[in-house]
Amino acid sequence: MPEDMTFLLQAVTWPLVLLVAWFLGERLNESAGIPRVSSYVAVGLVASLFNLPGVTESVPGLPFLANVALSLVLFELGYRIHLRWFRHNPWVLVLGLVESVLTFALVYFAAGWFELPVDTRLIIASLSVSASPAGIVRVANELRSTGQVTERVLHLCAINCMVAVLALKLVVGYWHLSTSGDMVQAVLGSVHVLVTSVAAGALLGVAMPALLRAQRIQARDVTLVFALAVLLLTTLSYGLKLSPLLAALTFGIVARERRVHLTNAQRGFGTAGDLLNIFMFVYIAALLDWRAVPAGLALGLTLMVVRTASKVLCNVAAARLSGSTERKGVLAGLALMPMSAFAILLLEQSRILGFAPARDVLAVMAFMMLVQELLGPLVTQRALHAAAETHVTQEP
Amino acid sequence: MPLETFKASESLTLGVELELQLVNTYDMDLSSSANDLLELLRRKPFPGTVTPEMTQSMIEIATDVQSEHGPLLAQLRAIRDTLVHACDRLNIEIAGGGTHPFQRWFEQRIFSKPRFQELSGLYGYLAKQFTVFGQHVHVGCSSPDEALFLLHSLNRYVPHFIALSASSPFSQGVDTLFDSARLNSVFAFPLSGRAPFMLSWEEFANVYFTKMESTGVVKSMKDFYWDIRPKPEYGTIELRVCDTPLTVERAAGLACYLQALCRHLLERNEPPPEEDDYLVYTYNRFQACRFGLDGMMVNPKTREQISIREDVLATLRKIAPHADALQSQAAMDEIERTAARDGNHASYLRKCYAASGSVQGVVAASVEALRA
Repeated sequence: MPEDMTFLLQAVTWPLVLLVAWFLGERLNESAGIPRVSSYVAVGLVASLFNLPGVTESVPGLPFLANVALSLVLFELGYRIHLRWFRHNPWVLVLGLVESVLTFALVYFAAGWFELPVDTRLIIASLSVSASPAGIVRVANELRSTGQVTERVLHLCAINCMVAVLALKLVVGYWHLSTSGDMVQAVLGSVHVLVTSVAAGALLGVAMPALLRAQRIQARDVTLVFALAVLLLTTLSYGLKLSPLLAALTFGIVARERRVHLTNAQRGFGTAGDLLNIFMFVYIAALLDWRAVPAGLALGLTLMVVRTASKVLCNVAAARLSGSTERKGVLAGLALMPMSAFAILLLEQSRILGFAPARDVLAVMAFMMLVQELLGPLVTQRALHAAAETHVTQEP
Repeated sequence: MPLETFKASESLTLGVELELQLVNTYDMDLSSSANDLLELLRRKPFPGTVTPEMTQSMIEIATDVQSEHGPLLAQLRAIRDTLVHACDRLNIEIAGGGTHPFQRWFEQRIFSKPRFQELSGLYGYLAKQFTVFGQHVHVGCSSPDEALFLLHSLNRYVPHFIALSASSPFSQGVDTLFDSARLNSVFAFPLSGRAPFMLSWEEFANVYFTKMESTGVVKSMKDFYWDIRPKPEYGTIELRVCDTPLTVERAAGLACYLQALCRHLLERNEPPPEEDDYLVYTYNRFQACRFGLDGMMVNPKTREQISIREDVLATLRKIAPHADALQSQAAMDEIERTAARDGNHASYLRKCYAASGSVQGVVAASVEALRA
């Protein structure tokens, strides 16, 4: 019997924790206007603190599920990216690229004050470039936000994520080369992953709209078809050791460009999307190792200041050139604060593929991840409110 | 406060106002981006005027006072090009059309100007349902009595303008079967409809308006949502029944059709307007809204039924000399093509819906039509 009890406890932990997360998310959103995702993260962090049975990375399949959840978000983000905008307003693209490079450089430099190995500094810098698509897209959807801050934050987030993957894969390649001298492994770990992931996403991005067009599929089913395609892509990426996140983002971007059916997938993939999201945020937060938090305090604070300063400064500098205002530039820079789900899963993926330093980095960055994951969505939400881009009217 | 004096202006001058919709580029829903767009437009001289409207997903543009079709169209095109360029920089699209085919009105932010906030407080859901887009045409009048004479003489032609401009067949995601669903929203307002029959400004200003004001129902002419209303501070009458067409060419064509028609009416060769003309007014207006150019209207003088299409074509023949005098033959060609061959923009949008199978496709077609 006791064995059965343990098993039962393990089995019900996840659903229970998710239910608590959902409940808290709704309550706090209603009473205090706190973004739902912040509540999910908080529940995950508490679960990690108590080290509840079952809520650990040792349960097989969970990382995969989290990757599917994030891939859905990345697909949605990609679907909102308008490549033609970069042609009409190149400053947005320039802003995204310059900001990514500057953030990388500044974070790499600042991390040098903490006597970290070069490998670790490079990885931290790569991850700091990214912004959390899950946090940002969720908050923007929740507020039904539209306007220049929203548009810019979404486009910059996509550029940031692209550059972050690129940088990390190059770092991984460099690490393989310097540790083993194995050129094949190095190329496999970086260039191959990047190119093939993009190719796989793009291929599906061309194929799916063509299929939809041929079948004249109804608006509602489009959501389902795209969700299944994302699932396929994630599975494929796992099998071929590609980057599921990069592939999903590319899939979204290409699918939008190729769409014939203008009917968009339901925002956030409807109820199924909500469910996966609750799981993902709780899971990611539960991955955090509390024991590492105090040690990373000074580093975390420093890097957060540097990263945020870089994003805000670049956005302000480019605001007027790109047709926005300085005020909206500041708000866009701040709204890019969330960073974690994407960074953690990216790191996890690298670890699974045999990149040894990944585990140490997660520990070093624990405090930074904690704060940005928990408070980042709140900052995004407040920034969008301050920009007056949110829809607060309710259906009477 | 008494009604301000009617400021006489040059007869038959024109001013066109268009309410345009802002939509996002990814699922074609309305985009609350008026603030961002106006902010960007402020940085360069604008070839006309641009102002915020009731909701954040709408802007209104206006031309200067014009007297001929050529310069009017040129200015509308310059305004269009400036807007399209600015929207491209901000990743938004801009389009004509009397309604947004699938917007959900309760999601539209009301613009934060005190008057708009006040309206939204007063009208509740109607104010948000008022997320509809119209074309207003001002015609200059040399005297207030001329203004009232024109206003009432035009009553029998109002269905023409509704049918020719109609571009709002879809609302809330469905085909309403109306060519102009927009006007149904406008009619919901308490002070909409026809102006009271009065041909003397003296009587209108000092008796009717004073009485209305004393009831507390109205404070200024702005509170009347009539199909045609006098605008004393401009010295014009303002035709308000048109949907915003999908193209500026159609907008200029409608304005100049009105101009030529007014020139014809001012010759006073037609039987003078009378109260009984309005017996068939709402019937005719319904026919135009519902069936567009295929609607049947009753001539208030002869009491004969005639299709709106036929009546437009007959009117075009009658006012041809005036169009020649006003240099607006190109505008008459545009109107004739619409009535005789191409149909109005409502029928065009229905074709786009049939081809794309989605209301998003309808918005995409509207966006393309304005750019072309």
